[in-house]
Amino acid sequence: MDERTRTEQSQPIHLPPPDESGDGLTPPGPYERIINWLAGLPWWALILGVVAVAVLYSMLTSEAYRRVIQSLTDNPQSSTEDLYNVVQIVGEPTMIVGRYAGETQDSVTTVVDELLDTVIGTSQVTRTGFLLAEDPASITLRTDGGLVTIPKDRIVDEQREMVGGNEQITLTYIERVTVSGTLTKRTDKTMTIRTVNEAAQTFAVSRVLSRTVIPCTQVNAPGCEEGEYVTIERQGEIVTGTLNTLSNTNLSLSLPDGNTREIRRSDIDRFDVPTLTVALNARSAARSIVPDDEVRIAFVLDTDIMKALDELETLDDVPVPLRYADGQSRVVLIGYGTLDEALAATGAGEADALLYLDDGPDRRYVETWVEDNPRAGVALPTPPRECQKGCKVTVKLNDDVLTGRIEWETDDEIRLVTTEAQYIDLDRSKIVENRRMEPGACALNNLRGCNAGIFLTLRVTFQAYGLALLIGLFFGLLRVQTNPVLYAVSTLYVEVVRGIPLLVILLYAGFVVSPQIRDTFGVNLSDEQEAVLGLAFGYGAFIAEIFRAGIQSISRGQMEAARSLGMSYPQGMRFVVLPQAVRVVLPPLGNDFIAMLKDSALISVLALPDLLQLGRLYVSRTFRAFEGYNTVAILYLLMTLFLSMVVRIIERRTRLPH
Amino acid sequence: MSQPLEPIIKIENAHKRFHTLRGTVHALNGVSLNIKPGEVVVIVGPSGSGKSTLLRCINRLETLDGGSITVDGILLKGARNINKVRAEVGMVFQQFNLFPDRTALGNIVLAQRVVRKRKKAEAMARANELLAKVGIPEKADSYPAQLSGGQQQRVAIARALAMNPKIMLFDEPTSALDPEMIKEVLDVMLTLAREGMTMVVVSHEMGFARAAADRAVFMDGGVIIEEDAPDVLFSNPSHERTKLFLSKIL
Ligand SMILES: Nc1ncnc2c1ncn2[C@@H]1O[C@H](COP(=O)(O)OP(=O)(O)OP(=O)(O)O)[C@@H](O)[C@H]1O
Ligand SMILES: [Mg+2]
Repeated sequence: MDERTRTEQSQPIHLPPPDESGDGLTPPGPYERIINWLAGLPWWALILGVVAVAVLYSMLTSEAYRRVIQSLTDNPQSSTEDLYNVVQIVGEPTMIVGRYAGETQDSVTTVVDELLDTVIGTSQVTRTGFLLAEDPASITLRTDGGLVTIPKDRIVDEQREMVGGNEQITLTYIERVTVSGTLTKRTDKTMTIRTVNEAAQTFAVSRVLSRTVIPCTQVNAPGCEEGEYVTIERQGEIVTGTLNTLSNTNLSLSLPDGNTREIRRSDIDRFDVPTLTVALNARSAARSIVPDDEVRIAFVLDTDIMKALDELETLDDVPVPLRYADGQSRVVLIGYGTLDEALAATGAGEADALLYLDDGPDRRYVETWVEDNPRAGVALPTPPRECQKGCKVTVKLNDDVLTGRIEWETDDEIRLVTTEAQYIDLDRSKIVENRRMEPGACALNNLRGCNAGIFLTLRVTFQAYGLALLIGLFFGLLRVQTNPVLYAVSTLYVEVVRGIPLLVILLYAGFVVSPQIRDTFGVNLSDEQEAVLGLAFGYGAFIAEIFRAGIQSISRGQMEAARSLGMSYPQGMRFVVLPQAVRVVLPPLGNDFIAMLKDSALISVLALPDLLQLGRLYVSRTFRAFEGYNTVAILYLLMTLFLSMVVRIIERRTRLPH
Repeated sequence: MSQPLEPIIKIENAHKRFHTLRGTVHALNGVSLNIKPGEVVVIVGPSGSGKSTLLRCINRLETLDGGSITVDGILLKGARNINKVRAEVGMVFQQFNLFPDRTALGNIVLAQRVVRKRKKAEAMARANELLAKVGIPEKADSYPAQLSGGQQQRVAIARALAMNPKIMLFDEPTSALDPEMIKEVLDVMLTLAREGMTMVVVSHEMGFARAAADRAVFMDGGVIIEEDAPDVLFSNPSHERTKLFLSKIL
């Protein structure tokens, strides 16, 4: 035996290195290999490939598709400061202010005021006790509950009283501080929270009526440059659009760019909307009209009298002489050069009525004129009627005054920061509790905030698949047990779940199981969790079958060998059978992952804004079904193609050497 | 041959039945056999006579339906920690049953780490030592699929030896091998026998039995027909059935 071994060792196989094979050929470079590979493809595959590339290219460069893709991907910004909206409870408030101003009551109060400015809430405690000790930094009291030492810089209120020769003190002090705002930066040690958001306005330079520079000496800002801080008197903005609604408090209009804007009436300096005024000659109002009588209507020459007549018909209650102006009597229109002439003529009886339609500043002139000339013989049977909807309207807002820092200024526009953002650095070790953390805006540096479209689809799929793997492994292991109960339970699960459409399972998860869990355990599942549970439960059955087949494909001898070496059944499973089974099941598991990615489109029934749901919304909003669903399909396709490539790579890398 | 020692394996009236669709098979029908420490016993017999079943019962890969087996003083039936017993009893299979996803070294290291809880370096050292002992130190990093049948079986033997078993069971270790590889495996087994390992070997390799075995046992129909020194049993059997069987295989 020993001799044999030696022989084997002394004859190592010498393969010539591949490069020096003698014929001088070098292996083809990547470029040649691609060309060779392309040349080997059938002609129709080449044509299909070229078409696919062309379609993709035109899609990615077309504006219409760009819009769809944006709306399908939750519109991520490239980066954002707003990582989270947070509420933090900080144990030691002094850490926020970081300074102790002094010993007197006043200075303590000053610090606390500053503190209260920068934080949203404090939890204050009031204690009463007898003074035991006092030093510059703290007061120690003996209270009912024992000794309490309170740092002076946390004291908000202090009352001293002599009770039976002893000094009794009632102190109100800050126990904890609640900071809420937006988490903008996080390091190992600190968190930076923006407690006050910046407020800024960008407006046209032409609106500036006057500008007063605030000298830097009056501004508490380091790095202030002279002229940066100003008070600007600003002309009210002029907004033009189509009137939507007009109420006593609000005015809503559609802007030319398609947006709507609500404006409070109190903010409006003036607004111009077509207004129809009907004035009557005082005597004509009482005149009885017989058919074929003549009705004389005055109007101002450069106004649109035909439109005014149309408008008149929409009035609920047309005053008497005009009521017969529609064919029963002869209508005579008399034009005047100015409104004053027309009014005077109406008062003098030259005309029975005056119709005046105007959307300019004079639109309510008749009203004031009649008030100013009560004896002119002109009556207003109804107040002037403003157009209620659908007319062109011009709104001028009130002038206002802004104070702040000029961030930038061009020839046309100016940007004024009226409120500076404020930040607090919190020492993470001082944070007692995270009350609430909600991800901020969707951005590439803050993917947690991306909650819709492709991101939701991917996140739900990954979570559900992870869970489905666990469920599948669990039931797959039960399926290979000889214990009849375990076998029956797992078979029941597999057969039942495989026999129910995934859509039904999702609806169950969302509308049966989830409310039941809420009622029984008081746990509220989010829509997303419901979707994950439903998908995982539904796919678990398929994955259990994959695992069962995988385990059973490993020969019984493997487990026997493991057991004969002294391993327990679980050890044999864990170290011998499963690692081999996983290799076997990798391709079908990969296929199931891709299938789940596609089936995740079903979660839109749970009102989740996944890729498909956003696509449908886009289509219903724009009626661009072709672009919308094309993009949805292509995005799914890109993801599945990419994944199947990954699966194939994993498969190749885990293959055993032959 | 006679040693004044207690038997390390004591089989008393062992019964084993298999219930199949075609009916009940009486694989062991009252087998009694004692094996002393250091003894090498070769079991021969026709196919289906229950040889494998007997070995598997000693390792408790199968449980008995009647009778009892005691290994190293522990009664297998109802033994508290059967895995501990198993670790003392190494088994080599006809089909090798190497773990295909691990290298030769990995195969030998695994159970040492999992069962014996040895440190990685210690387990590796032991594995390398055993690979050298079975004559293939250079194959440490080869996967089973890259090894010849004989080499695989030698790795399997090394894997079993790594647990420092007191007993080794061999179930037809060479019958799946090409003739030129049989010798290299038998050589390893012979060395092992000379070193005083207690061995129960199911094999029809008469040469090996003559050279290494203290005793040969002939089984048929789930019972032991006769047992004797290998030379005696093979050249001068007392039973008709033994004679018939030997005439077929020789
Ligand atoms: N798991 C099992 N289920 C059913 N019957 C079995 C099982 N294992 C063995 N048997 C039967 O028990 C009998 C004895 O089998 P065993 O494998 O012990 O024979 P053997 O002597 O090893 O034969 P061979 O030389 O072919 O390996 C045979 O009839 C076999 O069919
Ligand atoms: Mg057998």
